[in-house]
Amino acid sequence: MSENPSTGTNVWLWLLQRVTAVLLVVILGVHLWLANFGEASASLRAILGVTLLGLALFHGLNGLRSVIFDFSIGDQGRKFTTMLLLLLGTLSLLFGMHGLWPVIVGG
Amino acid sequence: MTRRIARLFGRGGALNPRNIRLGMWAWLIQRVSGIILVVFVVMHVVAISQASFALKGPLIMILDGLRNPFYYVDRTFLSIDIIMLGIIAFHGMNGIRIVLFDTGIGVGLRSHKVIFWILVAMAIVASGLVIYYGLPLLGGA
Repeated sequence: MSENPSTGTNVWLWLLQRVTAVLLVVILGVHLWLANFGEASASLRAILGVTLLGLALFHGLNGLRSVIFDFSIGDQGRKFTTMLLLLLGTLSLLFGMHGLWPVIVGG
Repeated sequence: MTRRIARLFGRGGALNPRNIRLGMWAWLIQRVSGIILVVFVVMHVVAISQASFALKGPLIMILDGLRNPFYYVDRTFLSIDIIMLGIIAFHGMNGIRIVLFDTGIGVGLRSHKVIFWILVAMAIVASGLVIYYGLPLLGGA
């Protein structure tokens, strides 16, 4: 219903791409501010870190998905791409959380 | 394949630079910068994670280490970071332009161009500010 069968584009993913774009501009600003002037409590750092990680991964990989979907790769190819990017995203999220762990448990 | 490429880039082709107008450039640069940024984000996460494992301390101490003006900074990585900063700023500002048009704000041939250049100026100012304040802290200046 939310998927266009001929192009494979999904209206919810499109909307989420816009929402994460706006959030990323704001949170990246905070991220760069903290990297330079760094005054924030550990919990705020942890929340910002995990949020930024998740948003950036979703926005990036979903963007990659639309770029790939612009080439004619067929139904199988689209399914494969989506699954591959989902797997890549989940693994990267876990790896990033692993790296952020010192901040999450209180730095 | 070769014929397809020739058709795209040849005279009258959609991707021939002569036929690419401002909005098309914006679209094309947004795509290319997006792909570059996915790679950068992954590299950035890996690099910072490695640093946080190696230095075995809370992030604030790692940042203190990075802020030390005598801390060795690899010029290549520093220049990559600065280039990425510019790409991020452009991608973000051009993304705002896309969101504006999707919500119906600023639609029109003239305002399209005006908004594009305003946002590019904002991107340049934003990266200038980060470089001005960030570079000395990273030991780059």
